[in-house]
Amino acid sequence: MKKRTVQTDNSEFQTPRSAFRILPWIIPLGFILLWFMVSETGMIPTYLMPHPAEIGKTSYNYILGNPGEAPYAGRFLDDAVASLMRVAMGFALAVILGLPLGIISGRISVVQRLMGTTINGLRAVPGISWLPLAMIWFGIGIKTTVFLVALAAFFPIYLNAAAGARQINPLLLQAGAMMGVKRLRGTFAILLPGAMPHIMTGLRLGLGISWAYLVLGELTGVPNGLGALIMDARMLGRIDIIVLGIIIIAVIGRVGDQLLKTSLRVCFKSARRMT
Amino acid sequence: MKPKLKAISRFQPEPRETILEIRNLRKVFNINNAFVTVLDEIDFSVKGGEMICIFGRSGCGKSTLLNILGGFIAPSSGAILLNGKGVSKPGPDRCVVFQEDTLFPWLTVKENIAFGLKGRTTEKKASEEEIERFLSLVGLSEFRDYLPREISGGMKQRVALARVLILKPKVLLMDEPFASLDAQTREEMQNLLLSLWEKLSHTVLFVTHDVNEAITLADRILVMGKDPGRIRDDISVDLLRPRKREASEFLLFSRELYARLRD
Ligand SMILES: Nc1ncnc2c1ncn2[C@@H]1O[C@H](COP(=O)(O)OP(=O)(O)OP(=O)(O)O)[C@@H](O)[C@H]1O
Ligand SMILES: [Mg+2]
Repeated sequence: MKKRTVQTDNSEFQTPRSAFRILPWIIPLGFILLWFMVSETGMIPTYLMPHPAEIGKTSYNYILGNPGEAPYAGRFLDDAVASLMRVAMGFALAVILGLPLGIISGRISVVQRLMGTTINGLRAVPGISWLPLAMIWFGIGIKTTVFLVALAAFFPIYLNAAAGARQINPLLLQAGAMMGVKRLRGTFAILLPGAMPHIMTGLRLGLGISWAYLVLGELTGVPNGLGALIMDARMLGRIDIIVLGIIIIAVIGRVGDQLLKTSLRVCFKSARRMT
Repeated sequence: MKPKLKAISRFQPEPRETILEIRNLRKVFNINNAFVTVLDEIDFSVKGGEMICIFGRSGCGKSTLLNILGGFIAPSSGAILLNGKGVSKPGPDRCVVFQEDTLFPWLTVKENIAFGLKGRTTEKKASEEEIERFLSLVGLSEFRDYLPREISGGMKQRVALARVLILKPKVLLMDEPFASLDAQTREEMQNLLLSLWEKLSHTVLFVTHDVNEAITLADRILVMGKDPGRIRDDISVDLLRPRKREASEFLLFSRELYARLRD
């Protein structure tokens, strides 16, 4: 079956394809270039901002070096895996709780009324104020971090799922009802796909903020993880490691977002066709 | 000059049985703390295979009536009997084609048509053939893989028609389904509806405020009055099909209908 392709992204009309491809890289590359030039002139002392070449050396050492050879050598895999696990667990918890609760409260006004005030109140509390409490409850370590990540990711996931479920065209649900669709099938065949664009936004925001709270949780003195790395480096005055940690988190965050988007698109027609 | 063809076609109706009875329906809405009777003393019955148009001015309660028949809103009093049994909830025995686009935007044309069949205990191969049949009945076989946003308004209404006809509803309810289409497309859709009706002989209740549409389609026209909405007239349209708008009998009917609309 031949299929006419339909342009939904009209920005592609204005820019040729190849130019469109490189667009996302312009700002990061420009930034690195600027950094390089400023470092070459020596305008900024290296104890404030190390030279990019030095970051390159540090990252080689950190990622590929032999453990024990030098401080931080070869720790990357260990740190990254530890952090990824914490983010994955916290994020999964937030999804398991936030998605169904959000959908339900988006559809049932009694639930919305019941939960609304509490959730919006809790949402106003900055994550950092949970930290002392979490440390008392869960001690120093993985539990505290997972708790903070789950807590932070819950709100955007819940709120967007609720908004998505609320904005569904009621005629679509009526159409389903008249075609004999019962509650359960209606939820998975109409409600979820209809709310998918919002759900996707919520999940992406949730995953994004997970990284912020991961670092917060790991600042409390866990032995490994990217947050711990940054905190440790600050105490030892290793600014190159701090900068490297920031860059690694940015890269992993970006890749994670893309992976999330892609896997939703692979798994759900609605994510593929409506976003 | 072409020889003037006298209107023919349309199978002779067999003796039909009443399938839908509407008994003394009443609907009161609470609008700004005032009770407004929108529908009152609605009472009529429909025979199997009949094509009925519900005709009336804007705001007289046509959509409300159709929504009650579809089970989407409850009447204040009165009853709806389908084959003698009371109905109150939406179900595939009374399917609706809405005026608005209500296709699922994440499903292709074919998937939209197949939607209602899923969850039914039909054999996969049989339902696959059925889907193909309805795709071609509404002339959309070539567009099966298109998404709703990629097809025109008229095509969307074809899909909306196919996705409910495939469920073999006892009564097909249509609420000004072609009102937002251009004149030519609307006429095409009316012809399509008539040809499908001749092939499948389902019962149709069709809401419209377009005089020509009512006369083109209906066996019977129920004319509704306003404040409160009641059925004022029950007109049998005994013109042969296909009906030509230029024919003098047609014009006679339309003049008559305009007159009733006015008073
Ligand atoms: N849910 C509702 N709540 C309160 N009043 C309503 C409701 N639905 C309809 N009405 C009132 O009932 C009356 C009839 O509305 P309805 O939509 O049935 O008219 P209609 O004949 O379909 O008009 P149109 O041809 O413009 O579609 C209107 O005056 C409207 O204000
Ligand atoms: Mg209406």
